[in-house]
Amino acid sequence: MNDIHIKGLHEAYFVPTVNFEVETGICELAGESYLEETIKFYTPLFAWIKEYTETIKKPLTFNFKLSYFNTSSSKCLVDLLNMLKTYQKNGGEVTVNWYYDDSDEDIDEELEEVEDFTIETGLTINKIPNSSLKN
Amino acid sequence: MKTGEIHDFSLYEYHNLLQQNILVSYKGPIDERIMSVIGENIEVVTSSGDAKAKSKIFKVFMELAQNVWLYSAETCNVGNGRVMGMGTLVIGEFGNYYTFVTGNVVKNSDIEPVIEKCEKINSLDRDSLREYRREQRRLANEGKKNSGNIGLIQVALTAESPLDIELTPVNDEESFFSIAVKIEKDEQGN
Repeated sequence: MNDIHIKGLHEAYFVPTVNFEVETGICELAGESYLEETIKFYTPLFAWIKEYTETIKKPLTFNFKLSYFNTSSSKCLVDLLNMLKTYQKNGGEVTVNWYYDDSDEDIDEELEEVEDFTIETGLTINKIPNSSLKN
Repeated sequence: MKTGEIHDFSLYEYHNLLQQNILVSYKGPIDERIMSVIGENIEVVTSSGDAKAKSKIFKVFMELAQNVWLYSAETCNVGNGRVMGMGTLVIGEFGNYYTFVTGNVVKNSDIEPVIEKCEKINSLDRDSLREYRREQRRLANEGKKNSGNIGLIQVALTAESPLDIELTPVNDEESFFSIAVKIEKDEQGN
């Protein structure tokens, strides 16, 4: 099983940065997500999580560091969280962190949607302000 | 040829009309390339606004402009199988708020469910809207048809505004459909 590394791009479409590491079980999805073919982009990420949770079966940490995602992407985020929830139900160790820019003034809506992701998937999501990472 | 012969309408009057409170106006084909140019410039044209309002205008723009592109009944074929939806987009500024308006031609036979959806959105409070978005997202993920577009729900949540819709008949088969939302500026004005 291989890592996934995708470098983010901000062009006509916005490709998020992806770093999924088998060795550490740490997955990062960062930047902006607005894609030409959303499902096509996320399908290999779903496949990675499926393989990791079925064969590696070690703890999994998912770090979301998204500053923008459109509604099509949000459907894929929920799919992804559902897979993590299933892993947790089957005994897997899962940590989900949602990093947000607390210097950005429009965070209320973002945090509200993160709460909705928790309601939709039943998965605990730790909300971590970026300012807490400094120093 | 006399001066003015080519002007079949007064560009000056048109310019003056747009001059009042209009920051951006675009009419023409829309696709991801046009969206990218306008999107990148929203920050610039809303320079007097606060960061929160700018972010909201951008998010609303991304969903509504995409709807024009994908759902306008008036299209233009630009080759290589690419089809662009035609429509109009206007960003206005009025004292303590911005308005964002998009419009496009729709087939009368297709528009009823969209109007019903907008009316439903307008009847819901914020918590019910969030519940509606969760439900629609779940249905979409279960592969249910016609449940895909949560863009309009998102627009109402982001703008914190009802969807002001207008339908103007064009002919027996088509109408011009427009959606306007209001985005308040931050009262502190920072």
